[in-house]
Parts: sequence; structure tokens; C-alpha cells
Amino acid sequence: MIRHHPDEGLLLAYAGGATDEATSLIVATHMGYCGTCRAQAAKLEAIGGGLLQDLTPVPMSSRALDSILARLDAAPVFERRAPSLSRDGTPNVLRRYIGGDLDQVRWRRVNANVSYKTLFRRGPVTARLLRGVAGAETGPHRHQGAEYTLVLKGGFADVTGRYGPGDLQMMEGDMRHNPVADPGEDCINLAVTRGSLKFESLSHRILAPLFGF
Amino acid sequence: MLAYARDSFLFSRPGCPRAGWRLPMTMEAPELNALLLRVAGNRDRAAFAALFSHFAPRVKAYLLRLGAPSASAEDLAQESLLNLWRKAHLFDPAKASAATWLFTIARNLRIDAIRRERRPELEPDDFSPEGEAGPDDALVWADNEVRLRAALRGLPPDQIQVIELSFFADKPHSQIAGELGIPLGTVKSRLRLAMARLKRALGEAE
Repeated sequence: MIRHHPDEGLLLAYAGGATDEATSLIVATHMGYCGTCRAQAAKLEAIGGGLLQDLTPVPMSSRALDSILARLDAAPVFERRAPSLSRDGTPNVLRRYIGGDLDQVRWRRVNANVSYKTLFRRGPVTARLLRGVAGAETGPHRHQGAEYTLVLKGGFADVTGRYGPGDLQMMEGDMRHNPVADPGEDCINLAVTRGSLKFESLSHRILAPLFGF
Repeated sequence: MLAYARDSFLFSRPGCPRAGWRLPMTMEAPELNALLLRVAGNRDRAAFAALFSHFAPRVKAYLLRLGAPSASAEDLAQESLLNLWRKAHLFDPAKASAATWLFTIARNLRIDAIRRERRPELEPDDFSPEGEAGPDDALVWADNEVRLRAALRGLPPDQIQVIELSFFADKPHSQIAGELGIPLGTVKSRLRLAMARLKRALGEAE
């Protein structure tokens, strides 16, 4: 049962095409777990269709139709990629960025409790996988700017609540928290950050920049 | 301030064309869906030409609204309609109207071509095995495009503005809030109000 969803504004921005690649990835991956948001996103896309229908048409050039008709026969029919089966329940939209399953990820350690794998970076926005040791604290830190965290495996809790697989935590603006991974199994998250994390302990402050945080 | 209020589709409706612009015959969802199914089933070129004449100028208008230069708007509108031809067999009228389906094609092509980013998308069979099934109420929206559009036109200007910005501004809401000079919380509450009105108009319980 999913308890934490992207808010209406984030889903609308996703449906409208206004979200950056990393944010789109985390919303799409959440929808892999959440039928409610899949249905909601379909409604919001219908708004896009309605707006498109109501735009004042801007005439195409006079040769546009002939030139596209001439291209039709040579245009290859689109083949959908065959879905490869995930062994751990991770939606394919994310597995394509990971390049496999979660157990094939080559983790880099930040400290005894936390390791990560950067998937990609576009400007100020970074998409990474984060892994927290079962039952351990991440260490208190602050965020500047929006951060979204989606649980893929295990779970965690912080001042804002408890999060399990498929739950999306949205943090906006300056916020301090100290997530603790649930006991039992390591917690693996997809995290999208804008700007940097500020760890409060000295060792974290020294290590974080070295590890690309 | 953005110039969107003035430029809103509320004030540039096809019903009040500019002088000298002959209004094309407007087609609605059932007819458009049927044409698209003919393309899917029979590779029907006449049906494709009719869809092109209806949609290409609207897709071009959409791309221009997002700030694409005129030449790339024309090219991307062409590519969008070419993708409609190539993907027609994937169209499912139970999930989306032809206009909505083409909107998603044009949206993704633009992100790819102009923003030079990929658009991660969940594919129809790409659910986590644990992923819960969703409600079927999205179908009501797909089936009631005319009602949805009437409801959109009935929204107060401040609400339609924040909706349009999500589709036509290519910016996150935090930035939109900054440019409109209103707090992010206000953007979000306008969106909530707008969505509640649209849901009511489409007969959904709140």
C-alpha cells in the first residue's frame, strides 16, 4: 500500500513535460508501483489533449502534407522494446538507467552506513541510488532546494513519516532530517537532488564533496 | 511577470479567428479516434492526411507556445505526425483520445529535440509486480474531451494560468511561482482548486 505520492503540482508538471529528466524518472518509477498515480497522470495528460485541441491552429507550409505523404512508406513501424523481466520488482523505466537489477549495482561507500551510485547529472540536478544499512542512521543533514526520494527496497523513517517501497518523499526548501533505515534489510532509494546536501558532522562534511555529493 | 494571461487560449479561441484566417472544419474526438484507428488497421493514407490537416497546425501552435523557433516548430510538428503514423498500432482509445495521445508524442519529441534530454516513461507493461492496480476513472476523462475542454474554459483566469504554465512554460512550479510573483503555496492551492473543479465537471466524487 503506497502512502506517500507526488503532489498534484508535480504530477501535472510531469504530464505537461515541464519536469527535468531526473524528476521525470522518479515520478515514472513511482507510477510503476502506484496505480492511483498512473490513473491521475492519464487524466492530467487528457488536459494536455484538451489544450492542444483548443489551440488556435498555425498553418503549416503549403508543401508540408505532400512532403510527409512521400515519407510514409519508408518510415519504419515503431516496435516497442520487449520488456526484460526484473528479478526484484524494480520498474524497467529505472532498470534501463541502472543497466540491470539492484543487486548488480556497484556501490561507492560514503561511510559505514551509506553508499551510493550516481545514475546521471544534468546541470544542478542529480539522480542517484542511495543505500542505507538496515537499522542505521544516515546522519543529520540539510537539503537546499527540492529533493525527492523514492523507496525501492526496505524502508526508512524520519520526522515526516515512514516510507516503504513505492513511497515518494517530497522535500521542498530548506529542511533538516536524519532518516533511519528500517531494520531487517538495507534500504535502497532513488534520490533526485538539486543543489548539495549539507551534513552536520565534521567527517561527513569532509567526505561528502569527495564523493560527489 | 509572464505574458501568459494576455496570451491565454481563453482569448485566442478557434471560435474567434484572426481576420483573414479561414477556420478549418473542426473535428471532435470520436471522429479523430476513428481516423486514427483506420491508420492503425489499414495504413489508411486518406485518414492520415485528414489527421495531419487537423493536428499538424495545432502541434505547431503548441511548439510555438513553448518558444520553439518557427522552423523547428514546423519540423517537429512533421515529426510528431510521422510518429503518429509509425505508432498508430499502439493507440488504445480506451486509454486516451487521439488528441491526448498525440499530445504525449509531441511533448516527448520536443523534450528530446529541444531540451536534448530523454523522457523517462512508464510503458504499459512496465509495472512492478507489486504495483497496485489503479482506478479506471481516467477513462471518463479520455471519453469526455468536449466536457473537459468546456470545464477548462470555465476555470477562473488565475487557475487556468497555472495549468497552462505546466504545459506551455517548461519550468518547475517553484520557478513559475517566482516569475508570477506569488508564493509556491498559492500556485499549489490554485492547482488544487482547478483540479477539484475539473473533477466535479467530469462527475467525479471528491
